[in-house]
Amino acid sequence: MKDMLSYRKDFPLLVTAPGNKPVVYLDTACQSLRPKAVMDAVTRYYMEEPACAGRSMHHLAAAVTRDVDTARSQIARHLHTTRNEEIIFTRNTTEAINLVANSLGLKLGDIVLITDKEHNSNLIPWQRLARRDGVIIKVVPTRPDNTFDLAVYDTFINEKVKLVAMGMTSNLDGVTIPAQEIIKKAHKQGALVLLDAAQTAPHQNINVKTLDVDFLAFSGHKLLGPSGTGVLYGKYKLLEKLEPFLVGGDTVAFSTYDSCEFLPPPAKFEAGLQDYAGIIGLGAAIQYLNEIGFDAIQKQELMLNEYLTRETRDLKGMHLIGPADARLRGGIFSFYIEGLDHHRIALMLDQMANIVVRSGQHCVHSWFHARGVAGTVRASMYFYNTLQDVESLVENLHKIRKVL
Amino acid sequence: MFCVISAIVLSILGVFSASNRVLAKEALDCVFRRVTLRPCNTGFDQKMKARILGFVITRSENTARFLNQYFEVLAWGFFVLLLTSGIFALRGFYLFYTTGSCNGLNSTALCVFDPTGKNNETSVIDEGCRVDQAGRGTGLTLKDVDLSGFPVLNSSSPDKIVFIGCYACDYTRKAYPLVKKLVEDTGASFTFLEFPVKEQSDLDARFAYCVNQQDPLAFWDYSDLLFAAEKVDLDNEDFLSDMVTTVGLDNDTIKACVSDPATETGFQNQQQQVLNTNFQGTPTVFINGEALVGPKPYRVYAIRLDGFFYWLNN
Repeated sequence: MKDMLSYRKDFPLLVTAPGNKPVVYLDTACQSLRPKAVMDAVTRYYMEEPACAGRSMHHLAAAVTRDVDTARSQIARHLHTTRNEEIIFTRNTTEAINLVANSLGLKLGDIVLITDKEHNSNLIPWQRLARRDGVIIKVVPTRPDNTFDLAVYDTFINEKVKLVAMGMTSNLDGVTIPAQEIIKKAHKQGALVLLDAAQTAPHQNINVKTLDVDFLAFSGHKLLGPSGTGVLYGKYKLLEKLEPFLVGGDTVAFSTYDSCEFLPPPAKFEAGLQDYAGIIGLGAAIQYLNEIGFDAIQKQELMLNEYLTRETRDLKGMHLIGPADARLRGGIFSFYIEGLDHHRIALMLDQMANIVVRSGQHCVHSWFHARGVAGTVRASMYFYNTLQDVESLVENLHKIRKVL
Repeated sequence: MFCVISAIVLSILGVFSASNRVLAKEALDCVFRRVTLRPCNTGFDQKMKARILGFVITRSENTARFLNQYFEVLAWGFFVLLLTSGIFALRGFYLFYTTGSCNGLNSTALCVFDPTGKNNETSVIDEGCRVDQAGRGTGLTLKDVDLSGFPVLNSSSPDKIVFIGCYACDYTRKAYPLVKKLVEDTGASFTFLEFPVKEQSDLDARFAYCVNQQDPLAFWDYSDLLFAAEKVDLDNEDFLSDMVTTVGLDNDTIKACVSDPATETGFQNQQQQVLNTNFQGTPTVFINGEALVGPKPYRVYAIRLDGFFYWLNN
């Protein structure tokens, strides 16, 4: 296994000029850094083949078409599906979820099950369906430590549930739900399952076939890919039935003045000119991740998270969000300190030691509102983070606590 | 209170930097909310406090602790200081506008708007000017000064300008045309008291004295010519004679006057009257009794006669 430190040189932000204060980037849950390989892939598109895929016949178009297909194939392999057509490119996870929400045809009385700590991306689309079409949203509460309770889930899942839409890994605390069991139980009741895997795809191996998940969405920008790229995986037979959400250019085989014939998936869901540079960059990101391997990534994240958890345990007023066991929180360490404003902590860390963390409610306002917590500071780690990074965070947190 | 200080400071810094402009906007929004009795929910004060604390804590934990504990008190303190310095700055600007110095009329203390003090420069009289300073009074005044016999324009005007100057003094040369313009603009009475602070002006002063004796109206043209002349020519008798001819007077008569012992006596009497004003250098201008020392900007003279908004009257 390659030394994890050796990957840092691929990330320009992490290569510090002598005499400069290094950036301690701990906001990967929001957006990961990009390796040069991804930037090179994006640049190569603009430099060498800045053309449309699948439309024109010239050699540049053929090159782009090939590269986009390669990226789709890389992502399909990454998710362990053999059908490239099951991969739809979107702008991000939010758009992917909106696509399902607006295309699935849920109607009055249909129940959508979510957890009590969904990102707004997997909450607001259903709320809109509830207002517009009379869909019922039911919230499955998690345990006090934010872990998923299958027994509680059992009391919610029934034949009236048409869709289980859940965040696979929470951006709030890094807790991953037992997706396979959840899906099994849902399917038993005839419900479909959509997983928001925005925080899972960058850190864990996802096998959509083993999971038997119906839809799965994730973003490129959290797994080393360019901003504005996302993926919706869907079982082909379901995608075939789904009405497209956005329609227009490239979604139809032909059209007359009063009718059209849609192309099969994924084309019918990819309306308009696509972000080819982003898609190609996303392919490069997946390739880069695969070269590192998820075992190594998780090992590094766990080492860092365990250190953070252990070294901040005795900090006065410290409240960790999620389970105490770092193994259950992936690369996320979310906390608040009694008496200290979370934004102030984040700003001070930035000012003191270039430590970049997220503060606030992390687009999970509903959970904070329900639990009466004002906000948290979230340090989210990835393979490119080092022990020195988290040591710096710990040291500065102790300093802040001591002084304020 | 922190928002108020930030709004002021960042607005000033915002003139030079776009990033500060954004912060200034936030601060102003915060102030506006406070003024309209709404909570400042932008978090601006918290954000700035955190940045400041983050900066200070890396240098001194004790200072950071103190700052954190007394942040609002310190903010109030700085606000009071800012307010005070703002008032003083406004006062300084007002004084500069009305007197030519931030520190008040004729003050030679440092003024940022006039750092070289050019509005207060004078050619100082001293022993070099053959004036015995011993026993001279202090306090500029026209009281007990007999102005009869000095050249005067618009004598009937209620506004009185008395100008003490020297033809060879650079500062007088700067002020004279301004005061002349003021006289033309306002019709104020203008009395010119020549005092040769420079030795090279001894002869021209006597020529001017005699020109005034001969023809008070021709004196003003003669005086204008002397102020316009090169300084090196002022003690050149031929040049002075040429100027006499230029203003249409008889050169022999003026020369006879200059060499007449009675002229010297009259001239010395006038010099003594000038010294009775207790002036210390040229130019010194009395406008309705108020003394202005040094070459002031035109507005300073004009304000004395027509008030703060003098330009409205022209």
